[in-house]
Amino acid sequence: MRQDRDVARAIERIRRENRRQWLVQGVSVVIIVIIIWWAVEGTGFSLRATFRGIPNIVQFMWEDLLPPRLAATGRYLMPALETLYMSYVAAVIAAFVSIGFGILGASNLVPNPVVRYGSRAVVSFLRAVPDVVWGVLLVGAVGIGPVAGVIALTLGAIGMLGKNFADAFEDIDPGQVEAVRATGANSVQVFLQGVWPQFVPAFISWSFYRFDLNIRSAAIVGVVGGGGIGFALITNIRLFQYQAASMGILFIFGMILVIEYLTARSRDAILGRE
Amino acid sequence: MAASMRATPGAPGDGGPHAAVLAGYARLGPRLVTWGILVLVVVLLGYSLAQLGLDLQRMARGASQLGDFLDRAFPPDLETLPRLWGPAIATVQIAIIGTLLGIVLSLVLGALAASNLTPHAVVGFLLKTFFALTRAIPALIWALLFIAAVGLGSLPGILALGVNSIGMLGKIFAEAFEEVDPGVIEAIRATGGNPLQVVLQGVIPQAMPTLVSWSIFRLDINIRYSSILGIVGAGGIGWELSRASRMGDYPSAITVTLVIFLTVYLIELVTDQLRRRVQ
Repeated sequence: MRQDRDVARAIERIRRENRRQWLVQGVSVVIIVIIIWWAVEGTGFSLRATFRGIPNIVQFMWEDLLPPRLAATGRYLMPALETLYMSYVAAVIAAFVSIGFGILGASNLVPNPVVRYGSRAVVSFLRAVPDVVWGVLLVGAVGIGPVAGVIALTLGAIGMLGKNFADAFEDIDPGQVEAVRATGANSVQVFLQGVWPQFVPAFISWSFYRFDLNIRSAAIVGVVGGGGIGFALITNIRLFQYQAASMGILFIFGMILVIEYLTARSRDAILGRE
Repeated sequence: MAASMRATPGAPGDGGPHAAVLAGYARLGPRLVTWGILVLVVVLLGYSLAQLGLDLQRMARGASQLGDFLDRAFPPDLETLPRLWGPAIATVQIAIIGTLLGIVLSLVLGALAASNLTPHAVVGFLLKTFFALTRAIPALIWALLFIAAVGLGSLPGILALGVNSIGMLGKIFAEAFEEVDPGVIEAIRATGGNPLQVVLQGVIPQAMPTLVSWSIFRLDINIRYSSILGIVGAGGIGWELSRASRMGDYPSAITVTLVIFLTVYLIELVTDQLRRRVQ
């Protein structure tokens, strides 16, 4: 008897659990459908219009973009180098500036919460605003060209490195810092001998990674006037030279792959990884 | 810098007459490497700056231009704020439809590319190459191409986000499908299920958690992209930014930047919560 009651109760509980799950799923589906409907209404998106556009798209890709004009490779070489220089300069400046933001944002190094949150807030803001937006503002401020591009990339890079450096400082082993402090070292010595050596691997990994990302970012910052290969690409598109443009896209694609490979290799070499 | 970390402090204490000298060299070696790298970094920096034509004069001019810009840009023009809600909402809507398009296409193409479901290995290989290509070309460049194909407006923005999303989601979805328990697929096949039933009833339910959490993550990314696509004319708030900047209306441009920041930031909070719920 008692067993039957227990079983009945267990079944009832499972049923209730199932019903609850169904309810949650049902409500989620309804909410998602409403959101999608709202977005479709707002954007005026129509599947029929999109399908009708497909022949246009295919025709454009097939007749205008293809084949890429190989002879146009030459006009991308110098801009590609410019992109490389921009990415490098921005990565180096940002890496060194971000050490400062990293220290100020690390709770184990800076006990003052106002300084810490202030530093982290600046970095978060730089990160949340897309690099291209910085690009547009800076092209307005200093004109079209690599100067705007370099500053935009630097700001974006500080947004990323500042956060990760602060996190890396917080992750260090306090035991080693204590050991140095116990020898009676002053705070500069504690930092240089206890903190810094532990931070270096993260510093190198993140800086190399960001240089790699800068190349991708520079390609699109260039589109809005920040110089380099992105600017060469948009110039060709504006002139309706689509086969030269598709060559530029392939060039960017290849450049990104090569740089990704090279940065990964040299980072591993410096860090002594196989 | 890292090299000095790997160095073993001090030489083996064999007590020989040269031990101290050797120890000195052992410490000097890595330190030389460290300084060598640092010098190289600085030399490359100087070379790059020279190649970009960024001498001290140009930098000083840039700094004064920047100061001038900030002078004119602040305080931000908050009167444009009411005009920006519409474009900000459109930005979110474009990202939602673009993500949805990307998810649907990625489900189909991901299934066709997954090694355990693909109709032919060559199809799978070609699709995976296609994913790599769509991923490597930035959303902004996709938008430029679609604008050339279908004209200005939110449609090229949606298409750009959809296609760019395939690069990431198609790859991830295919990998999620490949990890599905083969027994389940066998079971449905054995009962006479057709390939569509295998995918809908066997594969997708098992891969669901991965599909959902990556889709939410992609929505987050697409909101960021969607906020800039308007700069080239593909709908959303980016257009307001490039217009204000081109007209030299810097106070408005700063306001637009703040709205973009808020939009991206708020959506990130929401999607973070959603992803945590799902997991």
